[in-house]
Amino acid sequence: MDEKLTQRSVWEKIAAKLSKRSLWMLHYCTGCGAIELPPTMTARFDMERFGINPMVTPRQADILLITGYLSVKTLKRVVLTYEQMQAPKYVVGFGSCTINGGMYWNSYATMKSLDRYIPVETYIAGCMPRPEAIIHSFNELIAKIDRGEANSWKDYYKNYDFYRKNQEHTFEGPIETYNDIKADAALFRI
Amino acid sequence: MEYAKENSIIEMMQTEFPEAHFTVKKERRIEVKMPSGRLYDFAVRMQKKWNFLHLSAISCVDWIDDGEFELVYHFWNYDEKVLVMAKIRIPREEEGDSHFETISNLWQPAKFFERDIHEMFGVYFDGSEDMERFILTDWTGPPPMRKDFITREFALNFYHYREYEPQWLKDMMAAGEGNE
Ligand code: SF4
Repeated sequence: MDEKLTQRSVWEKIAAKLSKRSLWMLHYCTGCGAIELPPTMTARFDMERFGINPMVTPRQADILLITGYLSVKTLKRVVLTYEQMQAPKYVVGFGSCTINGGMYWNSYATMKSLDRYIPVETYIAGCMPRPEAIIHSFNELIAKIDRGEANSWKDYYKNYDFYRKNQEHTFEGPIETYNDIKADAALFRI
Repeated sequence: MEYAKENSIIEMMQTEFPEAHFTVKKERRIEVKMPSGRLYDFAVRMQKKWNFLHLSAISCVDWIDDGEFELVYHFWNYDEKVLVMAKIRIPREEEGDSHFETISNLWQPAKFFERDIHEMFGVYFDGSEDMERFILTDWTGPPPMRKDFITREFALNFYHYREYEPQWLKDMMAAGEGNE
């Protein structure tokens, strides 16, 4: 880890220090776990004390919180939403459903592991996770950003073929995306 | 008399539909089984004459052993507060869609119920102006609510599952806990 730290330029470290305390979260509330978000956001658990606030548009958001199961149809929207977000972007998979299908493991309509389709930064286990768990995972995320390890979003540009292949398998055909991922990768020098 | 209201409704309907079979399921719930050809007439009478203004739902049951689909139409009367469930059976096609006539010209909401039944069970409603896919817009497989579609089998073949065999789980299963 030390080696990694020394590789980062001082500007990157400063940027990480600043951005870790100003995270905007786009909560994609598809699953039942979304019910745990209002207490997390509001006075009881108050995630704003960590500098995290909800954001309504993907383009201005840093965190994409997927709360639970995604049907194949919603997954398509999530992929498009994710591609629209500006890097660096962090996906937090919330609940067992995003990890391995959860209690919908034998459903024909829901996807099973989210990280086959978009790179996931942290997972929160539980069905459903309590606000404490959400806050805990956000703190982990903040620490990771500070250490310069929250780089899973680069994986999407690096291994786009892998993600694309899984997406096409599940959607049974190519999806219409509005972003040229390969060109973006060149832009980020990835 | 018990079920006086329900019985008077049945009496009124029975005169026009002698071939239908009426039963009072419980208070304010009437079941009627009839030949499928009479359903449309029945629906017209329900709406225009007997004041059952609300079509709550259309549901479908797959009786795979009988080779039949059962369509259940739920009609609600706001004044009497009675629900009538009209049940009909249509032949179940193994390949392709089964067919039945639409009642969407009587009730607009029937369009949605019929589209839903079409994609979930594969029953095509002839005469409806819109039988596009409703919820499963991208689905290419067989209608998933049919009894011969094994959703577990499909999911296990189609999706990728994460390997997860931690030691505590192995220990637990070795001790004979958990199923399978
Ligand atoms: S993990 Fe549990 S609470 Fe969360 S979406 Fe799935 S079933 Fe619902």
